[in-house]
Amino acid sequence: MRSYFLFLLFIFIGSSIQAQESEMNTSEITSFKEKVIASAKSTKTIKTDFVQFKHLDFLADDVKTSGKMVFKAPNLVKWEYTNPYKYSVIFKEDQLLINDGGTKSKVDIGNSKLFKKLNQLIVNSVKGNMFSDSDFMVSFFKSSKYNKAVFVPKDSKIASYIASFELLFNKDDAQVYEVKMIEPSEDFTRIVFTNRVLNNTINDSIFSN
Amino acid sequence: MIRFLAISFLSIFTLASCSLKTTEGLRQVHFNKIEVENPYFSNAEIDYVYKAKIEIYKKNFGGILIIKKLGPENHRVVFTTEFGSTLFDFEFEGDTFTKHFITEDLDKKIIVNILKDDFKLLVNESAKVLAVYESKNQRIYKTESDESFNFYFLEDNLEKLEKIVNTSKTKEKVVIDFTSSEENIAEAIVIQHNNIKLKIDLEKFKKE
Repeated sequence: MRSYFLFLLFIFIGSSIQAQESEMNTSEITSFKEKVIASAKSTKTIKTDFVQFKHLDFLADDVKTSGKMVFKAPNLVKWEYTNPYKYSVIFKEDQLLINDGGTKSKVDIGNSKLFKKLNQLIVNSVKGNMFSDSDFMVSFFKSSKYNKAVFVPKDSKIASYIASFELLFNKDDAQVYEVKMIEPSEDFTRIVFTNRVLNNTINDSIFSN
Repeated sequence: MIRFLAISFLSIFTLASCSLKTTEGLRQVHFNKIEVENPYFSNAEIDYVYKAKIEIYKKNFGGILIIKKLGPENHRVVFTTEFGSTLFDFEFEGDTFTKHFITEDLDKKIIVNILKDDFKLLVNESAKVLAVYESKNQRIYKTESDESFNFYFLEDNLEKLEKIVNTSKTKEKVVIDFTSSEENIAEAIVIQHNNIKLKIDLEKFKKE
């Protein structure tokens, strides 16, 4: 009897979790997109901390790394990991400037279509503005806490790396606070942003190696 | 005269080809140890996570190496970029090798074989001893695998594994150096290839 009750309880809790998230209707999608695009337009710079979790099913714990991210419009991005190691990547024009614990290198991505696409994805997901991207099928969800956009790549080469890409947006300011990249194996990487500062002056010099 | 020269050269050549640098100046000793062990990836409770730096033909790239023991003679080895996307995902179970995933750019037979051999050697937990040598403060266990030999260098006092050298009959091919302070945890590992310009540096993630 008791286990039957527990079973019912689980179903109830389970379905209530399910019910928390629902698909947006057409007018909700339109107004959500407008809000995100407006917010992205007014965002000149972003400075934020982040924590990254790499989830692999067979591990006891997610692999956790953390650091800072800086964005300056239109397309300068610096990802800087500080814990547990120092590693930074600057996305600048058609190049990646890498500093791997003191070992500096440069990667030319000008002639790699895939890399360019991934780079664009990272820049656009930081801004949140990637709905116009024709390379993805996009669907929209809402809950009491967040709005969510799910991107599924159309291109089979990109799909062999990324099954889907999820962005979670704050309800109030339409800023991205979490990025989740799901691999074809269903393992995923989750990046959570905290302490975000918008539109402070950021000097170009920080985007050099 | 010509015959004499020919014989000399031939003997120099054969003698030289017999001498392997690894055991030069070492004394062969009697032994009663049947197997030599590598304890560094032997605990199924631990997620072994390393920052990796790879230098190949003067090009550098980095990533995260994750090793997990799943069962007896069974390890999963996954390499990801710093951003978390998987570059390759291998599984070793006894002599069976499974390639769960590898990115298209790396999926070339020669690269897969190098990675497979390196990581198999790295995670392999025990090997049958063929011969034992001694130096001033190390014991060296010679083992055999496929068509090559592996020499395990154990420090004398604590029997701590410090180095594995993979060789052909005549040449050192791969050297793996371990730095460990805590018991059975390798804080730093260097995998150095001698016949190709490839070096893999691994540094264990620090505890928070």
